[in-house]
Amino acid sequence: MGFLAGAAAFTRYRITEPVPDALWAEVTDRLKKHAFREIDDTADERSFGWVSFEDMLDAAWREAPPQKGAYIAFSLRLDTRRVPPAVYKKHFLLALRDEERKAQEAGRKFVSRERKKELREQVKLRLMVRTLPIPAVFEVAWNTQTGVIWLGSTTPKLRSLFEDHFTLTFNLHLEPLTPTRLALDVLGEARARELDNLEPTIFI
Amino acid sequence: MEDAYIGQAQDAALGREFLTWLWFKSEEKNGMFPGPDNLDFALYVEQRVSVQGGEGESLETATVSGRMSELREARLGLTTGKKVSRALLRLERDAEAWQVTVKAEDFSLSGFKTPKVETKPEEGDDPDALFLERIFLLEKALGFLDHVFAGFVRLRLSPQWAEECAAIRVWLAKS
Repeated sequence: MGFLAGAAAFTRYRITEPVPDALWAEVTDRLKKHAFREIDDTADERSFGWVSFEDMLDAAWREAPPQKGAYIAFSLRLDTRRVPPAVYKKHFLLALRDEERKAQEAGRKFVSRERKKELREQVKLRLMVRTLPIPAVFEVAWNTQTGVIWLGSTTPKLRSLFEDHFTLTFNLHLEPLTPTRLALDVLGEARARELDNLEPTIFI
Repeated sequence: MEDAYIGQAQDAALGREFLTWLWFKSEEKNGMFPGPDNLDFALYVEQRVSVQGGEGESLETATVSGRMSELREARLGLTTGKKVSRALLRLERDAEAWQVTVKAEDFSLSGFKTPKVETKPEEGDDPDALFLERIFLLEKALGFLDHVFAGFVRLRLSPQWAEECAAIRVWLAKS
């Protein structure tokens, strides 16, 4: 559920520096340059990038532009391949048994530690190819008048992925609108020290 | 536990004091707060509240929920020194109502419900109308919330905070 319907969950950010005027005309191109790339036909563990707000399959903004009134809206798509641990365990065991049999035939008693490591990697790669990436989409809404940006996620890992990719794309930095940040907006930077020195209140 | 970023502990402390104060204030004022436009809006803490106290290994959280409940167990938590770490807020202005869960430590928002928006676009409608309407409603509620927070911050750093704390103590003693 996101910005369009149902219950929304999001984190608020603000751009920390002035946005150069020339950037507004480049928004779509920059999004395209750092757009999502499919990994269905590879063995990559994950892929992420921007897609259209309306359609997670549209990474070229064919149907609709990201500009909506005074807002820019797009989504961060993150595809992840995850081999279930039980599946991995079984297939590693199969590979190990096979290797032990071969070792015995060759007159060796053990499978070496290095060989086991190799097997682990081979099994992982083999299973990755056979596992379909799981797509996830997180909406982004950018108010161009206030410089405030909403990201449709509250999980720290996804947030940090978004922050980095946003900065890479637009060369702009984001700060989360946390209680302290919002308090400084109210008080002014001159009173930052007062805020720093606050003793926690004991209400009882 | 080490801070994930500089100022994390300060964020958490300020956020928890705010939500704790907000619970008190909304009961003291029967939910009525002046909005950024000086017209009143209503804000209630209801249905689900988490309170947290202690730190490190002895950090303790109690989450209490109930549709029409007075959340007595959570109030009890406050009387042992815990503070509100997460709260479900209900906001109202005229016929419009919002619901949102606010997390104290970073003010992340979840379960954010706005007044109903007509979802079936009619011919000739701006294709972005639904998006713009929803964003407008979300921003409206956040405007109320930020306004209340601004009032809290000014009070928190003023000499009147001590009086407010005394009133909170009385409120807690009655709970």
